[in-house]
Amino acid sequence: MSEFAVHIETLRKRYSNGVEALAGVSLQVPYGSIFGLIGPNGAGKSTMVKSLLSILRPTECRGTMLSEPIGNKAILAKVGYLPEHASFPDYLTGRQVIEYAAGLAHQSRAACRQRCDTLLEQVGMRDAAHRSIRTYSKGMKQRIGLAQALINDPVVVFLDEPTDGVDPEGRIDFKNMISAMREEGRTVFVNSHLLAEVEQVADRVAILSKGRIIQQGLVEEMTRRDARYEIKFQGQLPVPLMEWCQQQHMIIEQDRISYRADSPLQMQPLIDRLRAALVVIREIKEERFSLEELFLQAVAQSRAETSATKGGAR
Amino acid sequence: MIQAYTILLDSLRMLRASKLFWVSIWISTFVALVYASIGFTNTGMSVGFGLFEFDIALMRKGTRESETFYLLLFTDVIVRFWLGWFSMILALISTCSIFPQFLQVGSIELALSKPVSRLRLFLLKYLGGLLFVAVQTGLFCLVAFIAIGLRLEEWSFSIFWAVPIITFAFSLIYCVGVAIGVMTRSTVFALLGALLFWGLTLVAQWTEDAIYKMAYVLPEVGLGVNFSSGQFEEAPDDSAQGLKKTYASIQSVTAVLPKTRECTISLKRLIRFNERESLLTGVDLGSVFAGNDVDPVIKRAMEKYELRHTWFSIIGTSLIFEILVLAGAATIFIRRDY
Repeated sequence: MSEFAVHIETLRKRYSNGVEALAGVSLQVPYGSIFGLIGPNGAGKSTMVKSLLSILRPTECRGTMLSEPIGNKAILAKVGYLPEHASFPDYLTGRQVIEYAAGLAHQSRAACRQRCDTLLEQVGMRDAAHRSIRTYSKGMKQRIGLAQALINDPVVVFLDEPTDGVDPEGRIDFKNMISAMREEGRTVFVNSHLLAEVEQVADRVAILSKGRIIQQGLVEEMTRRDARYEIKFQGQLPVPLMEWCQQQHMIIEQDRISYRADSPLQMQPLIDRLRAALVVIREIKEERFSLEELFLQAVAQSRAETSATKGGAR
Repeated sequence: MIQAYTILLDSLRMLRASKLFWVSIWISTFVALVYASIGFTNTGMSVGFGLFEFDIALMRKGTRESETFYLLLFTDVIVRFWLGWFSMILALISTCSIFPQFLQVGSIELALSKPVSRLRLFLLKYLGGLLFVAVQTGLFCLVAFIAIGLRLEEWSFSIFWAVPIITFAFSLIYCVGVAIGVMTRSTVFALLGALLFWGLTLVAQWTEDAIYKMAYVLPEVGLGVNFSSGQFEEAPDDSAQGLKKTYASIQSVTAVLPKTRECTISLKRLIRFNERESLLTGVDLGSVFAGNDVDPVIKRAMEKYELRHTWFSIIGTSLIFEILVLAGAATIFIRRDY
């Protein structure tokens, strides 16, 4: 069995109007991880998820999901999905929406009833489950949407902009629920443009721009890449120490020294020298790039490359 | 099986939530109860379970005319006009939104992301729409079955033929609404398109009916139409050769169209009352009220007129039309990106 819940070798989608929504995407999502797909509006995030779930017909697709070729309908019995702007029939109650999803996923009524109660409790909708969907707020609909995505006890869950229209308190709940899914051993694929949220829950991310993956990897590694350490001190640095710092390509600005380093070990000689020179250290901190900074940097770089290519072609 | 049950249950829930469904059910129940309330006394007939009595000698209890009237009221008026017209219009208004709503962004994705084939989803959703008419006609037939059984003491289950036939007639128009709904995702276009198409097919069927009467029925009873005066006049049997050619041309056009009207009219052939068989064929309400014994020549001509279409030309060709339209709609539904 593959170590990846989703393994896309290549995925391309060109619409009939000529727009290339996905230009040969390739990515891997390991089992049991939370994978965040981020990108600006129109980058192709929803197109990618819809292609994996056979909602869209990709122009070219090679890869596997749960060890079966992508496009195999039967495998969808082990997949959960909350679409962006999910819209449920307003003549149904919250519980009926979940039962409807269970029925379509081949779940027996007996199995569904028990699981439905548990999920309603988990998403905090037990008391409102008997009410018509038309009386729900956007946040409540999203909670029911999440419950219906989990009713078939899926191995992989796709959440497309799950916190869209959800209030701050609800967002925290969603974050906790997504983390709980990982603890239950599920693989979660989150599409979002809310980068801070993705950074908080995701193990891995991919940045999608104009139908191409421009960066992907572990969040930890990506944000640590180009990490800096900053030491704030009191008073003046002795001249020999200043010279040594400059030789080490450290940057000295007023009362702080900053240094690019992959590991805190590399900072130890500086700390030793500061202590030996009786310089008072006020603060040491590791400065990492946030996902937002990485994202903006990557998207800007991609745009610049595209412009350069176009310019060159002319 | 679970998936089919789920989609059909969802359709029932959708109907239950539709105001028009309940309006239609209540009107149907009212019409069925009015029909059931008609009774026959020693002096005539009564309506409203004896509330209003009318002295009509012809309609006295136990007369052949009263029994004929009671049966024809069901087959020629209620089935044809209430079930075949008004309830179908209400059903179209209620069901034409099913596919456009289902295809809304955020809704269709939920269904398509489940392990159910698109064709199965399409067909089950389509069948769900037909429930509107099937449930309503079923209830109506149940009341009519009990009423006729109690009044005439003949329990004919053939009344329930109305359920599949009326549902089939509805499906012939509904499939056009579904096809337009799938193409445009618009309820308004689906409804208007279906109604317009129904109107066109009715015009074609009325024309065929009228030309047949002029080309075959009238000459058989020795009459013809004088087109300059607009009057009937005696004419030899072979006087309508030109009309017969016209009829043949019109028939070739109507052959490919769905025959909603013919379906409901053909119910008269299926609803059987073994003890009263002669009361129903070649007879209409007008002749019952006139109180005359129908002329055997006219009766024979009318029988031929009623049986002029084979089952294949009514049901078979309509079914082919429906299958073709549904195949087109299903292809669009299956191949589309959502």
